[in-house]
Amino acid sequence: MAMETEKLIAAETFCNHYRVTLSFVHSLHEIGLIETVVLENTEFIQVPHLQKIEQIIRLHDELDINLEGIQAIDSLLSRLETMQQEMVAIKNRLRIYEA
Amino acid sequence: MPFVDYYQILGLQKTATDKEIKNAYRKLARKFHPDLNPNDKEAEKKFQELNEANEVLSDPEKRKKYDQYGKDWQHGEEYEKARQAQGQQRKWNGGDTGGDGFSDFFESMFGGSSGFGGGRQTKYRGQDYKAEVHLDLKEAYETHKQTLTVNGKNIRITVPAGIENGQTIKIAGHGGKGVNAGPDGDLYITFTVANDARLRRAGNDIYLKEDLDLYKAVLGGEIIIETLSGKIKLPVKAETQNGSVVRLKGKGFPVYKKDGQFGDLYVTFDIKIPTNLTERQKELFAELSKS
Repeated sequence: MAMETEKLIAAETFCNHYRVTLSFVHSLHEIGLIETVVLENTEFIQVPHLQKIEQIIRLHDELDINLEGIQAIDSLLSRLETMQQEMVAIKNRLRIYEA
Repeated sequence: MPFVDYYQILGLQKTATDKEIKNAYRKLARKFHPDLNPNDKEAEKKFQELNEANEVLSDPEKRKKYDQYGKDWQHGEEYEKARQAQGQQRKWNGGDTGGDGFSDFFESMFGGSSGFGGGRQTKYRGQDYKAEVHLDLKEAYETHKQTLTVNGKNIRITVPAGIENGQTIKIAGHGGKGVNAGPDGDLYITFTVANDARLRRAGNDIYLKEDLDLYKAVLGGEIIIETLSGKIKLPVKAETQNGSVVRLKGKGFPVYKKDGQFGDLYVTFDIKIPTNLTERQKELFAELSKS
């Protein structure tokens, strides 16, 4: 794949390695869980998104969760991450009152 | 080495069917899966136990061996010999040594893992690594370089001034090696920034308590205070009250990745009453109190 760079990986290559179908990747894109890039009629996945896609595949395969469920989990995990960051910030503020 | 009750871990009876084992594993895995419990060590540990239990009970051969010899695992070797004598050579260890997180009991009885729950063997992107770095307030105040040793490799990183306690930064490509020419994983470094005995940080602001003698508090003057950026001369107004706060704009903590921007420094005065007064001093105070 000539177009593959450090930042992009062809969706087809990705599917072969992860043993998932291209339609699975399309479904993720359609429901807004991932973004894909089309260059010269070839579909690519952005390398920084690999971690998230791996997580989706694990939830789908290991826990048998459908895409709607994964979408809900994704949204809740984002909120959880925001709250964890807020908690760290609040804990840091509280530290000024600690002896 | 303690015996591990895999049936108990999955909440099952010894008579459980394959379907019941699968359902119990799925149900509990959905509860404790690390992807659903980020940064939860307890859930991670529980998930490892579940995987181990499932690894054994969902495999008819392993389950048979476990049921027969579970509590007397030491006899596992004799069992193996007996099988070999019958010409049924089987390898308990599937050849994959990625059995990290398995109990000693499991390793002793089965030798290793052949992969969790039928999960995929092919990984493309390398594993992510996690590391922790402890800094004191002074170190977090200045941009500096540090060398970390992660998995036997030295990595030199730049720690930007203003890093927060609990903040995690990602060093792309410094995790485990990718498989099949895939990208390497990332390194996640979480910083712990300790507060100073004198100085306390809240976001980009710094708070400090400064002793002030009674005479300077009453008559005014100036004091020298020690900050993270050096000594500062601070004027004190006459009749300064105990607990009053002075804000020094831009003398606080550097704002993370924003060159030249700083928080504020808040100085709280702690007025010290003189002790061991002489008779003459006491007389003067008495005189003052009457005026």
